Amino acid sequence: MRIFINECKKALTSPILITLLIVFSAFNIFIIVSSSDHKEELKIVNEIIDKYGREITDDSLKQFEKDIQSDLLGLTEITGKQFESIYDFLDGLRFEEQEQYSDRDWEFFNSLQLKEMYFGMANSIDASYAEIDVQDGARGDLKGYGISGKAAETYLRENEEFAERFNEMVDNEEHKEWFFAGKPYFMHSFLFKTVFLHITIESLLLIVLMTALITTYEFENRTQLLTYSTHRGRKLMKDKLAASLAVSTVISLFLFTITLGTYFFLFDYSHVWKTSISSAFNWENPFPYVTWWDLSVGEFLVAVVVLVFIIQLLFSGLTFALAVIVKNSYTTFFLVAALFILAWLLPTFMPKSSNLFIVTSYTLSTLTMAVSQSFMGSSGLILFKNFEWMTISCWTIITIVFCTITYKRFRKMDIQ
Amino acid sequence: MRVLWNELKKILTWKMLILLIFINSVLYFLLIEFDIKHFPNGSHSYSYEMGIEMIEKYGTTMDDDEFIDFKRTYAHQVEDATQYLQSREEFVEEGLDTYEKFLAYDWWNASEEIYALRSNVFFEEKVELFWELQERERLLKFYEMKDVVPDVLSKKKKQRLEELIAQEKFGIYPEVVMMNFKTFIANVGIAILFSVVLVISPAILKDRSRQLVAIQYTTKKGRNLFKTKILAGIIATFIVITALLAVYFSLYSLNNTSMYFDVRVNTFIANESWFDPTFFQFILLCIAGIYIIGLVLGLLSMAFSTLVPNMVSLIGIQIPFVVGFLIIGLYPLLPEMISIWHPKWLSMISYCAMIIIVIIFTAILWKREKKLDIL
Repeated sequence: MRIFINECKKALTSPILITLLIVFSAFNIFIIVSSSDHKEELKIVNEIIDKYGREITDDSLKQFEKDIQSDLLGLTEITGKQFESIYDFLDGLRFEEQEQYSDRDWEFFNSLQLKEMYFGMANSIDASYAEIDVQDGARGDLKGYGISGKAAETYLRENEEFAERFNEMVDNEEHKEWFFAGKPYFMHSFLFKTVFLHITIESLLLIVLMTALITTYEFENRTQLLTYSTHRGRKLMKDKLAASLAVSTVISLFLFTITLGTYFFLFDYSHVWKTSISSAFNWENPFPYVTWWDLSVGEFLVAVVVLVFIIQLLFSGLTFALAVIVKNSYTTFFLVAALFILAWLLPTFMPKSSNLFIVTSYTLSTLTMAVSQSFMGSSGLILFKNFEWMTISCWTIITIVFCTITYKRFRKMDIQ
Repeated sequence: MRVLWNELKKILTWKMLILLIFINSVLYFLLIEFDIKHFPNGSHSYSYEMGIEMIEKYGTTMDDDEFIDFKRTYAHQVEDATQYLQSREEFVEEGLDTYEKFLAYDWWNASEEIYALRSNVFFEEKVELFWELQERERLLKFYEMKDVVPDVLSKKKKQRLEELIAQEKFGIYPEVVMMNFKTFIANVGIAILFSVVLVISPAILKDRSRQLVAIQYTTKKGRNLFKTKILAGIIATFIVITALLAVYFSLYSLNNTSMYFDVRVNTFIANESWFDPTFFQFILLCIAGIYIIGLVLGLLSMAFSTLVPNMVSLIGIQIPFVVGFLIIGLYPLLPEMISIWHPKWLSMISYCAMIIIVIIFTAILWKREKKLDIL
């Protein structure tokens, strides 16, 4: 145990780790704060959920419409004219007239405008979802990416299954729940793409560095002849692996807490935790986000955090194995970085007509980079239902095998 | 001299070179391949061909007479297009029997069948004439707007634009080549920057972590060895940059842009600049920029290398600097260095400042090294 703690100390007390953790946290906070201009506008969703419930039903929409009508009467009181919609008023507004109204009036106008926007979107859900044809979109994808042969067959087969899930989702009305409007605010990609990618890549950098530091420490400080001839001997590598995993956990916990803490402090999600992630409002790209399972926003967040966490531990393990072979932290770092990119690019080297094209996308790099679309059937070429658990379990096996082989090899190796 | 040679050999080891090649091939596929393999990309090939035709016919500048000729060619092609449309019954039936009608047709609200006809011409039959006509119309539009100075600009920018108009240097040559080169050079810059940092960083730390310094400083050459190490680092940086530039530019030559070399940067569309080099001179400017950036970062790496205790800290401390430079500095200093969208002397001053800071930094380190206690 004492050895384990001392191994951890090697990484945790290194000034560079502490400096970089501070720099990265500051950077993440800056990114989040600098794109939080619209955080007040988002609160209207909480109001709507408070008033009309989380689910969008015909009754609640009628109630919502009535309230908007009465708000429009209020608009008539302020302006002295009658309008069909706030947009008619705003479009007709001349620059000079803007100053006639007080700040409170403007607050009212803005909230009415938002309400009308959300109402309009909620009203058009059925029509927009009726237009979606999953199979047709899949064929379009195949043409766009130039995929043919076996790969195309596999892709279409999976899409068939996804089409079923899509219909089931529409029947369940999972999509009829209030969430922040996707197209104006892009809250899903901001949280799960921008913020998460920052956290993931930063912690990966630190994890790879610290794992390499711990693993190659004896060789770089020329203490290997001493340490590996002690009673503990080469089993020390086991402690080093355990210490690397522990340090990785600490690093990602720290970055996750600070960054997500800031995020949820600024953006109020309190009312939307239970909204389905497949909500019609969570629609940013040509295709809405639709998950394979009925996940709420909270569940999705937890699932993604767990996913990222496992990925990071696996990377720590892989780095450990590589560092045992290379015995040089500098080379290890650059090799891991290059291999990460290489694994990400792997599908592009494959023929687009064979299933290899699809199989080679089952890598940790692809999973990391596409984390915002995990568990989803709307994620293009990696829509496969088994993508996440298959990738994770395959790579867990690979990591364990790789670590075992290098450890066994290390036990018999000559050390100079 | 022999010491310098040996120091150089210590930096450019076989292992390091293999790692360098591996990393560069990964970066090539990630960043650079697209701009080489897919150039000109899709409909851009018509702009590319059109530009070559313009240069061959009118030279590297176009006056009004030449533009009248350009319009005449356009009119000829319009006639050809009309003939083509009349030769196709489907179009005549829909009343689209001249190119003018084809052009004026409200395609946004067209029925599906009529829209299919248009797609047929552009995408299935790929009638080159129609693509070329589109490109000519685009160029003509730019020609018509050549005297317009946007109101929103600052005074100096407006002044520069007016100056360019007075000199009859307007952006009328297709910009695909320029855009392609700009993304290419920025990505090459990234690849070279990483390579330099990769190769140079361990230079000085390596001796220290092997505890060689104590022995080295008791030789006759003594602490002057530090200067030799720095010099070896500079030479190695130079070699790495030159080798990589040679490789990347021989790949770039596959893009076949030499016809554009004599065109001045201000005569490319939407490419107003403070200075007016030709395209070839601009390429040379970018190469010079890469050398300066590379040498500055190489020296910075050596500086960190003398300060940090181990390899991991060496990488860690450089991450914020390199990434920060890529985010803030790379574009304004490399592809956009003479662009009108940045202040006129910004790139020049930044380059000078970077050089001066790095030189002062190295000098301080040398002073420190001279007085340092050897333990």
